[in-house]
Amino acid sequence: MKTFLKILLAASLTLSAGAKEIKLLNVSYDPTRELYAEYNAAFAKYWQGKSGDTVTISQSHGGSGKQAQSVVNGLEADVVTLALAYDIDAISQQAKLLPADWQKRLPNNSTPYTSTIVFLVRKGNPKHIKDWDDVVKPGVSVVVPNPKTSGGARWAYLAAWAYALETNNHDETKAKAFITRLYKNVPALDSGARGSTVTFAQREIGDVLLAWENEAHLALKEFGADKFEIVTPSISILAEPPVSVVDKNAKRHGTTEVAKAYLDYLYSDEGQDIAGKNFYRPRSEKAAAKYAGSFAQLKLVTIDAEFGGWAKAQKTHFADGGIFDQIFQP
Amino acid sequence: MKTKLKQLIVAAVAGAQFTLPALAADSAPTNATQIQIPAYAADGSGGNSAEAAEIKALKQQVEALMQKVNALEQQRGPAEQAATIQNLDQKVRVLARQRENDQDAAATVAKTAPKLVIGPGGLSASSGDSNFVFNLKGLVQVDNRSFLNEGIVRGSDSFLLRRARPIFQGTLYKDFDFQFTPDFGGSSVQIFDAYGNYRYRPWLQLRAGKFKVPVGLEQLQSDPGTAFNERSLVTGLVPNRDIGFQLWGDINGGALSYAIGFFNGVGDGRNTANQDFEDHREVAARLFAQPFKNSQNLALQNIGFGLAGTWGNVSSNSTGLANGNGFVTDGQQQFFAYNPAAGTVVADGDHWRLSPQAYYYYGPLSLLGEYAISDQQVRKGALAADLKNTAWEISGGWVLTGENASFTGVTPLHPFDPRNGQWGAFQLVARYAELDIDNSTFPLFASSATSASAAQAWSVGLNWYLNKNIRVNASYSRTTFTGGGGTGTTAPAIVTRQPEDAIFTRVQLAF
Repeated sequence: MKTFLKILLAASLTLSAGAKEIKLLNVSYDPTRELYAEYNAAFAKYWQGKSGDTVTISQSHGGSGKQAQSVVNGLEADVVTLALAYDIDAISQQAKLLPADWQKRLPNNSTPYTSTIVFLVRKGNPKHIKDWDDVVKPGVSVVVPNPKTSGGARWAYLAAWAYALETNNHDETKAKAFITRLYKNVPALDSGARGSTVTFAQREIGDVLLAWENEAHLALKEFGADKFEIVTPSISILAEPPVSVVDKNAKRHGTTEVAKAYLDYLYSDEGQDIAGKNFYRPRSEKAAAKYAGSFAQLKLVTIDAEFGGWAKAQKTHFADGGIFDQIFQP
Repeated sequence: MKTKLKQLIVAAVAGAQFTLPALAADSAPTNATQIQIPAYAADGSGGNSAEAAEIKALKQQVEALMQKVNALEQQRGPAEQAATIQNLDQKVRVLARQRENDQDAAATVAKTAPKLVIGPGGLSASSGDSNFVFNLKGLVQVDNRSFLNEGIVRGSDSFLLRRARPIFQGTLYKDFDFQFTPDFGGSSVQIFDAYGNYRYRPWLQLRAGKFKVPVGLEQLQSDPGTAFNERSLVTGLVPNRDIGFQLWGDINGGALSYAIGFFNGVGDGRNTANQDFEDHREVAARLFAQPFKNSQNLALQNIGFGLAGTWGNVSSNSTGLANGNGFVTDGQQQFFAYNPAAGTVVADGDHWRLSPQAYYYYGPLSLLGEYAISDQQVRKGALAADLKNTAWEISGGWVLTGENASFTGVTPLHPFDPRNGQWGAFQLVARYAELDIDNSTFPLFASSATSASAAQAWSVGLNWYLNKNIRVNASYSRTTFTGGGGTGTTAPAIVTRQPEDAIFTRVQLAF
């Protein structure tokens, strides 16, 4: 009996040893499709050269909050690359799939690239939208996704809120009135940033899209600079989309090593270059200098300094019964 | 729009000419520019010059108003209209987009919503991600057996509930399957299948519980899919269901299948009584290849062949012998039995089986063949022997209505619907089988006067597949015997005294 079990074990190990095809699932937010399509190919090549193993990375995209909830509900992500830290915190807190201090494991708070929120308007800027004040004027139709499901939408909301505070002596009542006027101009909420781009660019709805900077550049690239213009507001927010290995899933899949390497490689020269090429603001000085011309200089507030961190911002603005629920009536 | 506005003004002015005079007497003019309305209508035939002048003035004012309206229409009308149209266009676009979003959301919800399906495959409920599945299936077989040559005492002609099984299948946490199959047919309720199965990969699975031992080809065929009511004589030499665990898998999409398992061990043709009858265990293994399964060549796709076997040891127990301590005909009548008049025969020692097997399916054609050796050490008192019984069968079929035959049965292209001229599928089947008892069995371990030393059975039948779930069978079997046939009023003597001629029919419901 023992001999037989040994033979079985050996046979299983032999079969396993022969199957060096590794599969990773990266659950990401909406506008990163193009970034990770390019990055995955680069990493697979790098990893094969380094280890000899073939790694195939599958992508899942959607609104960041929705994606996080999917992982909590059992979507077996090996890594998550979401729009904001709060969504990964939710995975840690609700499903215990990764430690609470996950954000300390990689440089720059596990944020290998940053972005911000800008305006995408139709060519010629017919509504003369220059700054946030123009966005809230009556008769301006604003396209932005739902902050309940989209990370980009939460960044956009907070950028507008920050502007309202800055221009109203930090009067929160006035900021609330400002944000109320903004969402009064929103005819429909998509669940994610890519959906809103489709709404604005393809369905030709609205006068202005509150967009991720990378998404706005991509829209210009995809649909033509003769159709749209990017308008940079005076104030926006430093959006930091973080990344993390989902420890328990990766361990169960036997992919911990390659999942870590996958995220580490985002900080490499090649990873940073791909980020810059896809209109994300790279962290490395070298790539940042190379792509400096792609990004406008503007005042960027941070989530920690302006809002006291994501946990507080979430609770105040986006949790059930929060300010967004109070000011927005679908 | 312009025309309507003009018409509206003209109508209003003209109306005023007819309706306001009555009010004019009570109305005092408030300023000099106000239109002066005459007390009666000017018809051109009467009235004074002042009235005519008033009418003229009124006409001039109307003309002036018309000019103003025209001017306004030219200045502001198109812009307003364009704005209105643009506004409406945006509203329509927003509504269309909201509908798209609603549809996307509904599709997303549908992906995650639990599903309930009722169809030919039974009732299936699953979680949205299909990680949890529950299937309720069933099998009911109602048979008739009629034995010919009634001049001599024969088997009982009867209707019988051959099988009545609810089948509970499912999956838990995506990779763990289970099946539970009780049988309410026959005279008592039995559990036929009760097992769990873990799928690591299709090629590496672990099954534990009570299930079919991986040996006999026809035995492994599902009960609703067999060509005849009863399996052939070969099945009498291979194990039925047993309790144990089995490592198994399908490699390269089933081009090669393997199974190796440890079981309590059961006698030939036996179904375990849910517990072991002695200390020793039995190992069973099977390798089955379908080398062209993934090829595009239809003529080769469904060639399968393999080898299966068991090895075990039994210590002095009659339960280790064949089912019912003997072997039965297609009509389920015993034609061989251990235990001659004096002494009790028991299985005692090694027991191994070997079964090469193959099938071939191509279009309406089906062929299946297998051979089995069951080598068992037996003992009666101080006398021991190593008995090697063998059996083989070959069966074939042809679907008259052109459907493809398969190991799992036939699915009619035109399910039974006589109102529309559809009659289902018809299949002709034939089989020949032999079972040969080791000559060393006689006379010490069985009586050559009562038991046959060999049986040969041939059968022909017609299977009517009304649809995927309902099937009607009719077949004729003739079994002849070598040896036996002596005096006696019980089986096996009474059975082997003459060939068995039996007609079988069945109505089967399987879902």
